[in-house]
Amino acid sequence: MRKQIIWPSIFFCVLFLCQNLMAQVKKITVKGIILDAATKEPLTGATIGTPGKGLTQADVDGKYSVIVDDGATLVFTNVGYVSQTVKLRPGQVALNINLTASANEINGVVVRGYVKRNRDEQTGSSYIITGKEVQDNPVGNVEQLLQGKVAGLNIQNNTGAPGMRGSVNIRGLSTISITGTGDNAYLQPTSPLYIIDGIPLTADQASQYGFDQQGSGVSPLSLIPQEDIASMEILKDATATALYGSRGAYGVILITTVRGKSKIPRVMYTANFYVSAVPKLRSLYGGTNERNFKINQIQTYGINNDKYLLSNTPALSDSLNAYYNNSTDWQGIYYSDKFNTTHNVEMDGGDEKFNYKANLKYFSQSGLIANTGFENYSLDMNMQFKPSPKLSFFGSIRSSLGKVQSGSGTGVLQTIVNNSASKSSLLPGPSFLLATSDVLSSLDIRNNAGPKEIDANINASYELLKGLVLGTTTNYTYRTDNTDSFLPAAANGQTTLMNNDYSYYSELYNRNNISYTRPIGNHNLFFSLFNEIYIKNNQENYTRIYGSPNDTYEGPYGYNGALSTGGGVLNNFLNLRTASFAGAFTYDYKKKYVVDFTYRVDGSSVNGQNNLYTKNPSVGFKWNLTNEDWISNRTKGWLDQADLRLTAGQNIYPVGELQDIYGKYNSNGFYDNQSRVSVDFDEIPNPNLKSKSVIQYNLGFDVSLFHEAVNVTFDTYYKKVDNELFKIYLDNTLGFNYYNSNGVALSDYGYELTLTLHPLSKTSKLRWDINLNGALNYDVLLKLPSQYNGQTYSDQDVSSPELTKQYVVYRVGRNSLSNWLFINQGVYASTANVPVDPVTGLRLRSVISGTNNGTSLNPLYSYQGGDAILQDANHDYVIDARDRQVSGNSQPLLTGGFSNTLGYKAFSLNIYCSYTAVRSVINASLAQRLLLLSDPFGSNSVPTASDLRIWKGTGDATAKFANVYDYAHEQYMSNFRASQTLFQENGSYFKINQITLSYNVPKNFTKRIGLNSVRTYFSASNVAIFTPYSGPNVENVNALGKDVDGAYPNPRTYTLGFNVQF
Amino acid sequence: MKKVIICLLVVMVASQYGCKKFLDLTPIDKLTGNNYFQSANDVEAFINDQYGRLYEKYVQTNTAGGTGEMRSGEVIPSSNSQTVGYWGGEFIDAALVGGHTRQVANSGLDVGPQSIANTAVDDYLLFTAATNGANYNGLSMRYQFYHLTQWGEYYQVIQSINILISKLQEGIPSLTSDQTKAYLAEAKFIRCYSYFFMVRLYGDVVYYTAAYQKDPLPRTNMVTVVNNCIADLEPSKNDLPVAINDPIKRGVRASRGAIIGLLMNMYMWNAGFDPANATKDYTKTAALGAELRNSGAFELLPIAEWNTVTKGRSTESLFEFFSTVNYNNTSPVFQFAPNGVSFIHFPYKLPEYNSRASFCVFTTQYMQKLYPDPIDKRVSIWFESAYNQNAETFQFLKFAGNTNLDVTNDPNNQSNPDNTYLIMRYADALLLEAEAQYDLGNETAAAVPLNLVRIRAGAQPWGGVGQGSDAGYANMGDAIFYERAKELIGEGTHYFDLVRTKRILSKKFTDNPLTRDKFDRGAWTWPIDPAVLSKNNPYMTLNQYWTSGRGL
Repeated sequence: MRKQIIWPSIFFCVLFLCQNLMAQVKKITVKGIILDAATKEPLTGATIGTPGKGLTQADVDGKYSVIVDDGATLVFTNVGYVSQTVKLRPGQVALNINLTASANEINGVVVRGYVKRNRDEQTGSSYIITGKEVQDNPVGNVEQLLQGKVAGLNIQNNTGAPGMRGSVNIRGLSTISITGTGDNAYLQPTSPLYIIDGIPLTADQASQYGFDQQGSGVSPLSLIPQEDIASMEILKDATATALYGSRGAYGVILITTVRGKSKIPRVMYTANFYVSAVPKLRSLYGGTNERNFKINQIQTYGINNDKYLLSNTPALSDSLNAYYNNSTDWQGIYYSDKFNTTHNVEMDGGDEKFNYKANLKYFSQSGLIANTGFENYSLDMNMQFKPSPKLSFFGSIRSSLGKVQSGSGTGVLQTIVNNSASKSSLLPGPSFLLATSDVLSSLDIRNNAGPKEIDANINASYELLKGLVLGTTTNYTYRTDNTDSFLPAAANGQTTLMNNDYSYYSELYNRNNISYTRPIGNHNLFFSLFNEIYIKNNQENYTRIYGSPNDTYEGPYGYNGALSTGGGVLNNFLNLRTASFAGAFTYDYKKKYVVDFTYRVDGSSVNGQNNLYTKNPSVGFKWNLTNEDWISNRTKGWLDQADLRLTAGQNIYPVGELQDIYGKYNSNGFYDNQSRVSVDFDEIPNPNLKSKSVIQYNLGFDVSLFHEAVNVTFDTYYKKVDNELFKIYLDNTLGFNYYNSNGVALSDYGYELTLTLHPLSKTSKLRWDINLNGALNYDVLLKLPSQYNGQTYSDQDVSSPELTKQYVVYRVGRNSLSNWLFINQGVYASTANVPVDPVTGLRLRSVISGTNNGTSLNPLYSYQGGDAILQDANHDYVIDARDRQVSGNSQPLLTGGFSNTLGYKAFSLNIYCSYTAVRSVINASLAQRLLLLSDPFGSNSVPTASDLRIWKGTGDATAKFANVYDYAHEQYMSNFRASQTLFQENGSYFKINQITLSYNVPKNFTKRIGLNSVRTYFSASNVAIFTPYSGPNVENVNALGKDVDGAYPNPRTYTLGFNVQF
Repeated sequence: MKKVIICLLVVMVASQYGCKKFLDLTPIDKLTGNNYFQSANDVEAFINDQYGRLYEKYVQTNTAGGTGEMRSGEVIPSSNSQTVGYWGGEFIDAALVGGHTRQVANSGLDVGPQSIANTAVDDYLLFTAATNGANYNGLSMRYQFYHLTQWGEYYQVIQSINILISKLQEGIPSLTSDQTKAYLAEAKFIRCYSYFFMVRLYGDVVYYTAAYQKDPLPRTNMVTVVNNCIADLEPSKNDLPVAINDPIKRGVRASRGAIIGLLMNMYMWNAGFDPANATKDYTKTAALGAELRNSGAFELLPIAEWNTVTKGRSTESLFEFFSTVNYNNTSPVFQFAPNGVSFIHFPYKLPEYNSRASFCVFTTQYMQKLYPDPIDKRVSIWFESAYNQNAETFQFLKFAGNTNLDVTNDPNNQSNPDNTYLIMRYADALLLEAEAQYDLGNETAAAVPLNLVRIRAGAQPWGGVGQGSDAGYANMGDAIFYERAKELIGEGTHYFDLVRTKRILSKKFTDNPLTRDKFDRGAWTWPIDPAVLSKNNPYMTLNQYWTSGRGL
């Protein structure tokens, strides 16, 4: 070991010596300070060197001192910044440098397939976000802050539930698979793969059961402190993601955490104090107004014995009854503003040879809804040790503890709260004896839930020969997640209820790689080979026990153990192993032409022995235009850098499980007193099941103009998702219920543009950075299984009523996820306007399958004045499921963002916005709200409807909404079914995500109080949304574009934060 | 350098083999197909499940009644009010399925005034009986015959068997080649039984033998289906022992005897529908019958020991669905599934206060036609007041012999007499042989098996047309036909016999006859549950007779 250090040292010393002897040039000492161009913060650890050689690093104040030849050329570099090259004037000894942070950095080092490479040798499409961009706004999940920052990364923060995730898609849809029905229908998440310091992380864990999942539902991603993130890189095309294997099919996001880089140990303390504010809630009638409204409604529209029933409904008729003489603000009981704090301490230090970092974080966020919230404690440490230039070790431990309270809901959906928040204001407010069990269950449920995770990682690499590097990485993650909830007897029909859910997840990951770089003249060759292995285990246990001794004791068993429904291992048990081999080869000629080949073979224990390995090739080509002399000579002065990229590749995502391939066998009791085992008849095994494949072509260019004042990155791509798993329901002569086919294909194509502008000159005191990005993505359904003749719809379960359901229709040639809706054409001005069936003489009728079965000739089902005009598409004078039409697209066409940073001296103002345009949203929430107007006997509140254009009476031809007050008639008509075009609205929006004003307290002042630096900031997030949409929150809709009543609202937060460095 | 790279490559390539093992996991939460079919036990449990499934299908409804004398119109439900309160009403579907609406009126009357409806015989009444939740004049359908319109369960068995056969052909470790062959034969028996039963119920059915069949198929002509089954089964026949000696499995699991019985039934079915090849079919049947007889593996037990036959696992049984009160069946049997239950009352059925009358009776005319000679021991052992269609006196005790219901222990015990579900008996095969020999013109040869059955029953042996107790029969064929009706009464074969011999076309042989036209349009089949149309099979058709409505 010592030899290895000594010999190179001697070698380098001799080299320096010789140089000194050879070049009889005067040596000078150059001093200066290196600052961030935007924030004027010192850049500790920035490297100063001559071209091709690093000499020294800036100290903690950004100061440096270096001995070089007089008139030498100095190069200033820092990770995440545009490097600068300055030629010293003869005799110059002082040089201050402002380095510009640039996400759009074209030069620099990136990691590809776990190997560090020069960025200009990369052919793939990617985008880097620095850690700074995800600070200053405390969030439970750092993913939220990426919204609108990267072209092609579509993030919808569709839940405000603390600790939960929204939806994330890179380059459009990757699936059409929908699980669940009705409001619980959700699109299978296709989240990108996260790689944290080289270790893959599965972010989708919490979503396996959809909205109604067991467990705490907290995403592992929520456990990563945002302050600890140094940079994030989003890899989009097939070549960039090729080496991340099957799990990279939906894109890859690389996260690098902060490393120690200061010789003097530093302590950074960040504190945020923030208030979450409740968005505007529903406007309701209270007290007498509600009573009068309902009585009036019954008097006007009641049929049969309704008026008699009125006198038997004390809530309405007995206004003097103290029990009903209230005006309770139910919404106010559940929703309130919350105050929270977060604290983060980071300590780091060290140099190139040895550095370390520890990050300690406390995060807390109380939810807007009572009894919900998320807390996170985490301690992350890492250290890097390079005993010699050839050998390096990196080790890290991440540990965190999350605690989540989800009240009576399941995190994302808060159905019970929603239902009880729309309770009649006449009912008395919550108190133990009076309130309904809904109320009690929401407020009194005791929850103790959350994940605990520990993650250890060690990484070593050794340079065996020059250019030949061996490396190995091992990582072990263990996460437990438990939910203990206790529902008191009063809230649960006089029986206490305890739910206990416990799950563990462990992952062992090992990767060994060998890479070799060899320049031969102008030709550069790079080879890399690696293999990786995963062993993953997941097990979830669930127990439900009823009847503890009383509401104070949560156990042990109550007097009646037989009430307990027991439990056991849930069916998401996982025991998975994968083994992969991958190779990459890159060739470039003078860095002008770069060719990339990668090939990866993945084996997985879910693939089945006949088809164990899947193969993914990719190829990329890059032409660095500015490295061509004939171009750079002509464009000097305005073109800094330009390149052209072209890539193609395939990734495969294994779908299905062993049981899809081989079938499942069940024990089936006894016959003739001998045991029976049968094949499971739900799904027919498909021995030919293929993995889902994602083929992507990408063409892009990067241009940097006018000394990096204008940077443009443009990509256009075509992505084909083939062999998508799709259930085909079978004819009953085949015994089985369905079979999983690979018969679906869809494609995404689109354009992505990122513009980074620095319009003011670098010497200007006012700094102004603009980042604009946008992505236009079209998706097209290419293929369905042939049985369907090009069209089918989700949710083939026929048991639930057809009218109220929102179907997603798949039609080949259209966008992949369309709605299947009734066409609303207004409101019948009068009964005379309703068409009459010339054969039967009956007016147009509404047929609600399941109730009158299409055969009833009851005139009550006939339309009349004030009813919605639904298009009778098949002209049979009956409105039923066959009149539905394909309409709309729930996926946005255009997404992007816009960020504007202004700085003057120590002040900095950042305004960051995002937008989503051209998509349809079903305003089911409005439909629900209208139905509240149609239930005078119910125990629900009555929202005000003066803002809605409801039919006023015979002759009103311009009304938009049918006569909702005619409740007795409405029950036959279902005028307010959400599945009609009336409720399909334009879901475009422009959102001001965040406004941050920050101030660096002057150095001389901070020095006096013994601090190194103090930065304070005020930030407002989720500031405003501009949208044509009429519902409460256009973003708060599920991935299928349905504004589900009961979704958790997104809060607006105001933060005051401090950033102190000791 | 090169050496290093080569070494690394060698290591990587070598590790691929290790990988295969590394990636082969056995999930603990479920049994997946790649871990099943590893041993004889796996095959045994799987094949046992198929018998279990067929059994469960059979006991969903009164299958034997629906395919036997109820369908042929010889059964009349009792309108005795005593059955009303307890069981919830009279069994009108026992009449409707036979195309009539007659009921025996209140108790106390011998040959009760059957209310012969003005509508007379209307075979379309079956449609009501076979509709779930239907009612007739306010009487609900008690026997749940609609299960007979649903074939999904048979196809589950067929898919399972197809998978099993493909696995057996691939080779299952630890099975000897003899074991494999035996299991193949057994599997094919189950598959062919399923197809044949469906053919007899629905006519043309979807036929496939490929494992993991997932593409929809049209219905195949039934003669072809039966021929396919014969071709499938015949070569495997000798791979099984002629009979099973293990008393647990005897008659319950397939043996060569069961295969021969099924083959004989299939040949005789095709002989009826494919006259061009009838002689060949008769020859085959006769030969198989002789083979079975000569093997000596089966016997007709003395009629006094009849109850051991209905108890199950007897040496007389070729194939049966075994059931006993002693085993805890995991799936409950439909309480009216045993055909015998419809024809008994106290003391064979408890409680007394509600079980004073049988639910149904056989008509006097039919009983007189069937058993003209009272010395036939079957009349006295199998019946009580055999010729008296009074629900309070008439009892059909063929399946009621194994009951120890004890009033003193539990007067409210409602359980049924213990009996197994006989599918094919030695007597069935003997009479088929007799029939085939007769059809070939060999009356002497036909008399041998016929007399075996008669002698066991204590009846007069065949003495020629018009002789003795055979006086009423026009020819020996009719005698054999009636002998089958006598011997197999209540065992669910009678309607099939009427159909395949075309005797269904004559009022002489049945109370529920069909015209030639109705027969050709498939009136002898069961309607198929229209749910099959709504699924993804564009080739599917229903049975024409039951979709085009009644009349012309």
